[in-house]
Amino acid sequence: MATTDVKQPSSPVTQVVAPTSRLKSALANQQLLLLIVWLVMVLGFSLKSPIFFSVDVAGNIFADWGPLVLIALGELIVVISAGIDLSVGANVGFSGVIAAFAMKALTTAGVASTPTLLIGVLVCVVVGSLIGLINALLINYAKLVPFIATLVTLGAASGMSLVLTKGAPIMGGPAGGIMLSVPWIGPFSKPVLVVIVVVAVMWAFLHKARFGRYTYAIGSNAFAARAAGIDVKRHIVKIYMLSGFLAGLAGFFFYLRLGGGAPTSGYGMELDAIAAVVIGGAALAGGVGRVSGTVLGALILTTVTSGLIIVGVDPSWKRVVVAVLIAVAATLQALRKSEGGAS
Amino acid sequence: MTERGDVIYEVRNLCKRYGAVVALDDASMKLHAGEVVGLVGDNGAGKSTLVKCLSGAHQPTSGQILLDGVEREWSSPHDAIQAGVETLYQDSGLAPHLSVSANVFLGREELKPGILGKMGFLAQKSMDTRAHMDLDRVGIAVPASGRSVAQLSGGQRQAVAIGRAVAWASRVIILDEPTNHLGARQAGEVLHVIQRAKEQGLGVIFISHTLPHVLQVTDRVVVLRLGRVVKDAPTSDFDVDSLLGTITGLITD
Ligand SMILES: Nc1ncnc2c1ncn2[C@@H]1O[C@H](COP(=O)(O)OP(=O)(O)O)[C@@H](O)[C@H]1O
Ligand SMILES: [Mg+2]
Repeated sequence: MATTDVKQPSSPVTQVVAPTSRLKSALANQQLLLLIVWLVMVLGFSLKSPIFFSVDVAGNIFADWGPLVLIALGELIVVISAGIDLSVGANVGFSGVIAAFAMKALTTAGVASTPTLLIGVLVCVVVGSLIGLINALLINYAKLVPFIATLVTLGAASGMSLVLTKGAPIMGGPAGGIMLSVPWIGPFSKPVLVVIVVVAVMWAFLHKARFGRYTYAIGSNAFAARAAGIDVKRHIVKIYMLSGFLAGLAGFFFYLRLGGGAPTSGYGMELDAIAAVVIGGAALAGGVGRVSGTVLGALILTTVTSGLIIVGVDPSWKRVVVAVLIAVAATLQALRKSEGGAS
Repeated sequence: MTERGDVIYEVRNLCKRYGAVVALDDASMKLHAGEVVGLVGDNGAGKSTLVKCLSGAHQPTSGQILLDGVEREWSSPHDAIQAGVETLYQDSGLAPHLSVSANVFLGREELKPGILGKMGFLAQKSMDTRAHMDLDRVGIAVPASGRSVAQLSGGQRQAVAIGRAVAWASRVIILDEPTNHLGARQAGEVLHVIQRAKEQGLGVIFISHTLPHVLQVTDRVVVLRLGRVVKDAPTSDFDVDSLLGTITGLITD
């Protein structure tokens, strides 16, 4: 099929033959594989436990999935650009705490619930984006590699959260907040539906718009991107700020679930985000990854966690299952690379 | 000798140091419209460094760059591209994970009309079609525009890189070893592309170690040795032996 619309090169260069075997095309379709893995998990847990296949459990799974997929999508764009963002988990806690202070003050001053919550979400995403901006400035101008730059902000943000709160959650915000976290349509709460909209927007901007094109180009070959006239530093700022923005949004998600801002919210979640991204088929070397893969990766992680608890297995097994999934995904990635890349 | 126009691109007394390494040492050269200048020299002579200064990828330590007689300072490749100076770099000019058409349009993406375009959405179909046409027009082998560059052979990649540079250049085109990785026939096509660019009135800087190609396609040859311009003369003054002698330093004036 590749030959009909292709002009034959005028010299005998090797034509790349489309992979035809079923195995190869299955390997090439990470999303399909992930969907199958997820369905098998759902089936397995449902057979093991009569209560697993229910709206309640699905509601819990999606409530866990919401904040995870938010920060995982931020991690995804960073990883596609050949970077890494270790600060997203700490960002969740810090932005939630700062917003909790703000909302507590507003509530004490007698401001109504809805405007307080709106200001709260604004504070979360502004604080989150600022942490992302600091990451980008450290990378662009202090010339730190992303790993170190975001390790710095991880430490600073999580430390600040604990200092400011003395380790205790900040409560006393608007009363209506926690009500938002209950399922609204089927298993989906209003915040989860917002997350689904965010997923759609991210898909469009990453796969259909110039923002995504530049992100892939920078991760694929930063020199080529710069040589093509792309302002790489400016795009790095956008990428890390967007990742921070999404982490801030996840911070607000946790605030709603808890009814307060806890300094420990999001603790260690950067590793779950990286796991979701890698299981979803992205390559840490950059240039590769899809929103659909990350969404499924996050769904698999949260399904495993809930499922193991419900069927009565020690949930610590989750770590082992996740480790195996990462190993398999990374192996498939390596195989795909060695087969696809003619040179 | 063919007609040649005004001087379009010029460097005066260009120096470039990388730390202690002096990669370019007081180099000067001129390029006229409709002229092909061959830039030759041993490995490490400073050819790629000169190219990077001319394309805005690196900034010279001192010296001047003039386009159409006006002194310019390229702070990034973007500036040079905007001014009509296109460059094919020796290595890594393409993003391997992106498709052929995405590479051809990299940094100059076409957007959808209306509000979607304002939001940055890409007119992908239109770019695919145009990329195919642009590469076709240049007259070099055209791989499918939807395929990712990593799946192409070395020769096909080079074809895409050349096609992109020629399709966008409006003033000057700089080709750093464009016939690398190519068989004899494909290399012949590249020389033909250079000839066509020259006929369109572009200034072309052609870098190659294949001296017969240089003698065949250029009007003038500039020889670099250890970062210095040691010879700048019409191509008709040289044959392969004398050019080789000048490059290696066996022949000096
Ligand atoms: N980025 C760089 N950093 C340090 N030294 C460099 C760099 N690029 C080139 N050089 C040095 O500058 C000199 C000229 O190199 P180059 O311009 O690549 O030569 P050519 O293209 O003629 O082979 C060499 O000595 C090379 O080692
Ligand atoms: Mg070179």
